[in-house]
Amino acid sequence: MKNGLNKIFLLLVMVAGVAFADPIPTEALTQGGLVMRDRQLRDIGLVMRGGRGGFVDIGYTYTPSSEQLQLQSKYGVHDGFAFRHHYGIFGSWVLDSTSHFGFLTWFDRAGWDSQDFFFFPHYGDFAHISSALTWGFSYTNTEYDVTAALGLQHQNLEKAGWRVYPDENDSLLFYWAHARYKMVGLQASFYRSTFQTIRLSLDLESRSLYGGAGSGFKTYLPNLNATIYRRKTNGDDDNFIRLNWEQNLYKQTLYADVTFDFPDDGFRSAILKYYPDPARMIGFEASCLRRHEFAGSKDLLWGGAIDLLFFRLGYNSAFDYENMFHTKGTLVAEFRFQIGAVDGKFFGRGAAKPAPMETTKNSIDLKKLMKARAEQNSASPKYDAQGNKVIEAKGIRYEKTDATQGGH
Amino acid sequence: MKYLRLFLCLVALSLTACMSHLFTDTTTRLQVENKTDVTILGLDIVSEDGTSVLPWIRDSIEPGEKSRVVEEDWVGTFKVRVRFDKWNGKLLASVGKFCATYSTPVRVYALAKQGDPNVFEKDVKGCGEDDVHMVYTETTLDFEGGSQYLIVSQDEDGNVAFKLK
Repeated sequence: MKNGLNKIFLLLVMVAGVAFADPIPTEALTQGGLVMRDRQLRDIGLVMRGGRGGFVDIGYTYTPSSEQLQLQSKYGVHDGFAFRHHYGIFGSWVLDSTSHFGFLTWFDRAGWDSQDFFFFPHYGDFAHISSALTWGFSYTNTEYDVTAALGLQHQNLEKAGWRVYPDENDSLLFYWAHARYKMVGLQASFYRSTFQTIRLSLDLESRSLYGGAGSGFKTYLPNLNATIYRRKTNGDDDNFIRLNWEQNLYKQTLYADVTFDFPDDGFRSAILKYYPDPARMIGFEASCLRRHEFAGSKDLLWGGAIDLLFFRLGYNSAFDYENMFHTKGTLVAEFRFQIGAVDGKFFGRGAAKPAPMETTKNSIDLKKLMKARAEQNSASPKYDAQGNKVIEAKGIRYEKTDATQGGH
Repeated sequence: MKYLRLFLCLVALSLTACMSHLFTDTTTRLQVENKTDVTILGLDIVSEDGTSVLPWIRDSIEPGEKSRVVEEDWVGTFKVRVRFDKWNGKLLASVGKFCATYSTPVRVYALAKQGDPNVFEKDVKGCGEDDVHMVYTETTLDFEGGSQYLIVSQDEDGNVAFKLK
């Protein structure tokens, strides 16, 4: 009975998630390439904090109904599917005791089509499908704690239905570079001779994953980054700066993440993130995003997400709004897997501490520990509260006793 | 048993993630039947601001006739315009407008309320563009995809009535 009720409840939530969904605007799809490229470079920046080891992130969004993420074009509302398939892989080789050479590739394919698919799209008349590929090489020297990485970025427009989308350039070639010295990172991307983004990161928070402190005031230092974005408004330069402040609030499990846009737009988003484990395999977040569409509180989009190791479920979350074409009013599910490794320790994206290891190593340690403890016990006898020596019986031993000595 | 459940889950998942086109239609195959006493000149999809028009049914449909079936990617909710050669029922009241360049009258009939006449007559002359004379009606229809049949008729008030099956 209880199980049945749960199922009905789940069904109601799913129906509600679909019924109140807003269709996604065509403008959000034409900006998709820019969003993908920027997010990939941000991800690469997080992985380059260490610049060694490896990282894998793979996932696809799951939107089962064709009425869940409809398309709002100038002709009306079209039934169909918004999708985002992505992967990011970084691997490195140890050259000598201090040098690491790495290769990285990030790929996103996102858009909207009238049919859903894994690999081969339908290419409907109103489809918009584009992809972005970022790849490059990295070099890290652990003695000086520096990383340098550079590579190319391709933005490819597979299909944009001529009826509703403006003309876009196809197959754009960008290039990017990333440099890090200790906690300071500088990242830039260019198209021909003009910059697209320049990002300065100060990751002041101390991370035990990369050899920093595991607790104490150093872990409460902020992570700041400022990005200059190139933007054109009516043909004139209208560059803006996005400031991002991530702050550890409690033991590297509770974080606040606030974003501001300068000079004009001001507050952009605030996210409260809770990771039960600092390794960030599992996360919960609540977010508030300002959409710049209305005035006052109506403009704020409140939402949240649950992030499990293989599955993410979000409702109006700031991440989904920005990365899934202004999706709102519906549950967005994503099947995904992401894990990073440094020095044989595992962690999730942007984590400060590695995950606790509970595999074979521990069982060997446990035996040694028991042995060591047993030796310690025999060497130093215990005393009770009265100061009498206490000898603990080990095993059962039967001794014959004399009745005159008062034994039983 | 455990594996059977897993298998069924995987089947359900793949059916709703990449195979849903097996049971959901992504195109509409539309046929229009003309039950009015005037000729239908065509059926178009019009953008919400009225500036963009994409023709769907291009045939003229005589009274009592049916059009050919035309398949297009219109699945969802769209504004449909049906053009007639003339209209024998009531037309909407005229809203006077003057062309700024030539001061020639442009007659545009306002959108109808429920029960009011819903046929427009647009008559634009000498405004720098091509002269337009058009008798048409507009409505918003919900196309579910697959084979759909639209009956255009005239109701007892002399207005256009639509029935989408």
